[in-house]
Amino acid sequence: MSVLRIENVDKSYDDEPVLHDVSFEMDRQEVEVIVGPSGSGKSTLLRCVNRLTEIDDGAIYLDDEEIHSVDENELRRRVGMVFQDFSLFSHLTARRNITLGLRHVLGLSDERATAKADDYLERVGLADQAESYPAELSGGQQQRVGIARALAMDPELILFDEPTSALDPELIGEVLGVMKDLADGGMTMLCVTHEMGFARSAASTITFLDEGRIVERGPPEQLFENPEHDRTAAFLSDLTGLHQ
Amino acid sequence: MDAALLQVSDWQFIAANWRFLLLGTVVTVLLTISSLSVGFLLGFPAGAIEVYGRGRLQTVVSGAGVILRGTPIVVLIVLFYFALPIPQLGTVPVIDMQLTAFIAATLALGLRSAAYQSQVFRGSIQSIGDGQLEAARSVGLSKLQAIKHVIFPQAVRRSLPGFQNEFTIVLKDTSVAFAIGLAELLTRAERLYLQPGRDTAVIEVIITISAIYFVLTFSTNRALDYLHSQYAIPGGNE
Repeated sequence: MSVLRIENVDKSYDDEPVLHDVSFEMDRQEVEVIVGPSGSGKSTLLRCVNRLTEIDDGAIYLDDEEIHSVDENELRRRVGMVFQDFSLFSHLTARRNITLGLRHVLGLSDERATAKADDYLERVGLADQAESYPAELSGGQQQRVGIARALAMDPELILFDEPTSALDPELIGEVLGVMKDLADGGMTMLCVTHEMGFARSAASTITFLDEGRIVERGPPEQLFENPEHDRTAAFLSDLTGLHQ
Repeated sequence: MDAALLQVSDWQFIAANWRFLLLGTVVTVLLTISSLSVGFLLGFPAGAIEVYGRGRLQTVVSGAGVILRGTPIVVLIVLFYFALPIPQLGTVPVIDMQLTAFIAATLALGLRSAAYQSQVFRGSIQSIGDGQLEAARSVGLSKLQAIKHVIFPQAVRRSLPGFQNEFTIVLKDTSVAFAIGLAELLTRAERLYLQPGRDTAVIEVIITISAIYFVLTFSTNRALDYLHSQYAIPGGNE
């Protein structure tokens, strides 16, 4: 059974088409990486999955349930999100960033929420930063808290919206390391990223999106070694070259 | 300045009447507290409604704000005292405070302050990036929960400097209750120098009450500064 199924999704902003007839399906434990030039609709596609943005046409299913038939807060509990700019709650410590949802969405007691938060902070290597506020953490540490915050809600799927794009190069590795561990641990992940190293090593499938349409989709070997379309080849070689 | 105006005997007169002025100070402080409370309790929800509200409620709230901010405070206070059907409630003994006038002054100063505090709070809410609300919603919090747990705590902190201004303004503006004869500091000051043969003490009395107003605003501002630093977000730049 697929965790996520996207069927013929269309989306426009003020008559400007952003997504056009996008369809694909993800199974449990799969890591889907979406690549494409800026403005190709990658982030919009992610935001449609947890309904931060509403689709115009088509349908999206989570565990075979159309997402509009699920309560939106329930949907978002089941679909975690990690943001490009981290978006940690700036008035709360790393630990409280995680317990907020645990307490008020999952209804955990303060004690249990704290224990769980500390557990997830340890998983992302930040056990010693539980009491730190976001502004006291490096970008890489903030993003790892962001991942722990999403993870702690026990989501069925996590959306990553360019999680390393706002980071200094030397901090990218620590975040990708955590993501790779998650992927290896069987987390279902839908990632928008330009990190081709991660895509190559962790992705089950890569989707190349351009001008709101899926140009090509397949396992990493196929897209990197043997792409069907010249556009895919050109884009991937540009990105790969950029990061060498 | 004419040296004859600042006479020793006038200072002695003030010293002899310190208790009379102290009671006026008590009324001033009470009026400040009551007005700021009304202003806070109405102003902060009003600010939130201006940002998040819809339809008629939002129109009514922002319209009321425009009218209150556009009317001189003396006009408001006189209007409320004579036009609002506040029952005659008598006078509080010792501090000689006429309750009806106190309520009218509280409503006038409080509603006007609400109109300004709403703008302070609205600005603070709007200064918090959309990302914070989106992140909260993405965890599964409802919009109301997100506003309560993520937006408000940050907005209230950012409102402190603006609130500090508002405090100073309201404290000083309690003196307009003079217009309806409420026995606050300025009214009592006037009663002092209007006593037969005491018109030489006008400047001394005014200097004295100015000093009292200054001590009140200065000390409270320092206290609020301290509060602001205590509740500042570590590592943050505000």
